[in-house]
Amino acid sequence: MKILPSPCLVLGAALCLATATTALAQGNDLSVGRKMLMEDNPGELWIDQGKTLFMQKRGPKNVSLEQCDFGFGPGKLEGAAARLPRYFADTDRVEDLESRLLTCMTTLQGFDRKELIKKAISPAASSGSDMEALALYVTSRSNGMKVNVALNHQKEYDMYKAGEYLFYRRSGQTDFGCVQCHGEADKRIRLQDLVHMTSKQGAQEVASTWPAYRGAHYVVRTMQWRLNDCVWQMRLPDLKYATDYSIALTMFLNRQGNDAVMQAPGFKR
Amino acid sequence: MMKTTWIKWSISAVGGLVITGCATYPDQAATRQLAEKMVFEAFEASPAHMKRLEQDKSQQICSKIGDAKPGQEDSAEIVRLARASIRYPASGQLSGDWKAGDRLAHDGAGDRIRNGKTEANKENGALCQNCHALAPGEINVGNVGPPLTGYGKQRGNSEAIVKYTYEKIYNAWVYFPCSNMPRLGATGHLTPEQVTHMVAYLLDPQSPINK
Repeated sequence: MKILPSPCLVLGAALCLATATTALAQGNDLSVGRKMLMEDNPGELWIDQGKTLFMQKRGPKNVSLEQCDFGFGPGKLEGAAARLPRYFADTDRVEDLESRLLTCMTTLQGFDRKELIKKAISPAASSGSDMEALALYVTSRSNGMKVNVALNHQKEYDMYKAGEYLFYRRSGQTDFGCVQCHGEADKRIRLQDLVHMTSKQGAQEVASTWPAYRGAHYVVRTMQWRLNDCVWQMRLPDLKYATDYSIALTMFLNRQGNDAVMQAPGFKR
Repeated sequence: MMKTTWIKWSISAVGGLVITGCATYPDQAATRQLAEKMVFEAFEASPAHMKRLEQDKSQQICSKIGDAKPGQEDSAEIVRLARASIRYPASGQLSGDWKAGDRLAHDGAGDRIRNGKTEANKENGALCQNCHALAPGEINVGNVGPPLTGYGKQRGNSEAIVKYTYEKIYNAWVYFPCSNMPRLGATGHLTPEQVTHMVAYLLDPQSPINK
């Protein structure tokens, strides 16, 4: 089934803009138009694509990802993403969704890690990357379930605390840490709403809506992309893919966001 | 058979106990060490760009977790460092060209790094629009910082106000230790000359911000 998203997208975007302007003039927030768009989320298309990629025999070893263990055992996907990041004994590391996918795609399927990372974040207006589609598919299998990031293993405690530390760490010529933009309610960068991540509700939004369809890019984006774009604006150097820095921040935010109901893909402007 | 199973069970139970029993939050020093290591392993960059990740003394003090505010001693240290950081333009003239300031206030680009390359921008934008309301009626403005609409109208443009405004933009932490406002001059994001244009933009009666 091929769906043509363009007419409804264009109409939706126009509606969104119109609504946003009126809402602002009336002193309301900008979420109205975004809510209207969410009901018709083109990101849904990536779920099927991800499922196909997941089931397909691929890579040098010509196997599917069905034996990949996301924490509940090989191939058990229901609710697994809602508990990430978590500690995995086979790698002796805390991994988030994307680093776990990398692990499985290299160990099970035999893909080259560097090559995977090179293509992990797709260009805007492209058909997206395998990683983006896979991340969304795996996450979608937790939809309707509650985020439940646990701290059991020592490395999970360490990761969580490191994430908290990094959230508040200021550096660079803008003196920015995450909290400078995401520490208060009802804030905006120009017209863009900022998520209030030090509130329960804000952290829950983070934990439950990635991967998300990004309207301005016409593709599904993952949490790793979100972090990359933040550090770019902060004037920091290029963030590498799936490092402990990203996993720690994700661990901190997702844990704070426990009990949110998963609903991927989210919809971002 | 029963016995071996029982032994296996108890071993795993004890193992589980050991893991859960000992696992707890690491102390501050351990967290700091681990997280700092993560920072320096997470970025792909030239040595010059890696320097951006290093915190200066003030940034270290201002990175407190949660709502913790710097204590009296820390605040005094930040003010001292901030005061020492301020450079004035060669001309000695602290108020420049409001039109240049207007343009810079609406420029959010400059010095961002993508694929190892610093973005090509003639000069760094002053980023004001991202966080502050500017001229009356401007809609595309942020609200992370306080509105600057009518800034000069409310304050006049006496020599004292010009100096205060210059220093506030150059290094906001002289007056507000650890505020969210970047120390635009002190970190090198803006030059002293650019700061003089921002001062004029805020204070000149002809500037749209005071209309």
